Amino acid sequence: MTSRGTASRFLQSVLRNGVGRYVGQLKRVSIVFSKNGQSSLGIREFIEEGVVDYATKNPGTVVYVTPSPCRIPRIVAEYMNGNVREKTVTSKTSKEISEILTQMANQSGLDIIRIRKPFHTDNPSIQGQWHPFTHRPPSIGPIKPRTLED
Amino acid sequence: MVFLTLSCLIRSRGPDRYWKVQELLKNARHFRGRKNRCYTLAVRAVRRAFVYATKGRVLKRHNMRTLWISRIAAATREHNMKYPTLIHNLGKTSIELNRRMLSELAITEPRTFLSLAKVAQARREEGFRAALGDGKEPAGVFSRVVVTH
Repeated sequence: MTSRGTASRFLQSVLRNGVGRYVGQLKRVSIVFSKNGQSSLGIREFIEEGVVDYATKNPGTVVYVTPSPCRIPRIVAEYMNGNVREKTVTSKTSKEISEILTQMANQSGLDIIRIRKPFHTDNPSIQGQWHPFTHRPPSIGPIKPRTLED
Repeated sequence: MVFLTLSCLIRSRGPDRYWKVQELLKNARHFRGRKNRCYTLAVRAVRRAFVYATKGRVLKRHNMRTLWISRIAAATREHNMKYPTLIHNLGKTSIELNRRMLSELAITEPRTFLSLAKVAQARREEGFRAALGDGKEPAGVFSRVVVTH
């Protein structure tokens, strides 16, 4: 895994989220599980107890619960910028699943790849960035057009 | 070998070769020449790339530090001072700015850097006065270091 061979991005926020109102970036969550299957036990427990509270806590997110005959239960999260994150939750407890869901709700949809710097600023310089004439004031005055001297 | 007919000679190999090959080639896609396509060449090139990446982590820290030092030295020489004196005197006034922050200040906040250089110069002159002068003069302002921890 070289730094040039793997994807990387700079730290950024999604459209300055949080400067005004904070908009949760999780658009919809689809929980795919099976009604009888021991790997979906935790999911079924979570749906019995915690999914309604989760949905009320995140009013901007749509939660779809789709039982289907499948061997591996999955949580598919779609974000406002179009990124889709799928997570398999085979044989996880209800508590772990609620933790996973809260983590997904707090994420922005940006790619989970190496972040080049842990900081970002739009105004890096307050006093003005250095240029070769910062500490060398001009020795001749401002250059004006030549006047005809009679 | 006991295979007596052609149909018995055919062996069933592993099913995953394509994906194992692709997993290695994805690390070689940005290489030049045939080593970004051909597995045998790519294996060697990818191994070298990983070795260089491992060694480069130490080198990166080393290179960044020398870059910062050369930038700070250039900035202090603009203010008629040298890098070792700046670092030593800033340390004596317990201004604990590391070389990264000093180089960033020199680039983005040139007036702050000028004031830091002046503080270091003043402390240097106080040190000279304390060492060379007789003990009658009071110690200077910048020599009074307040230790809070």
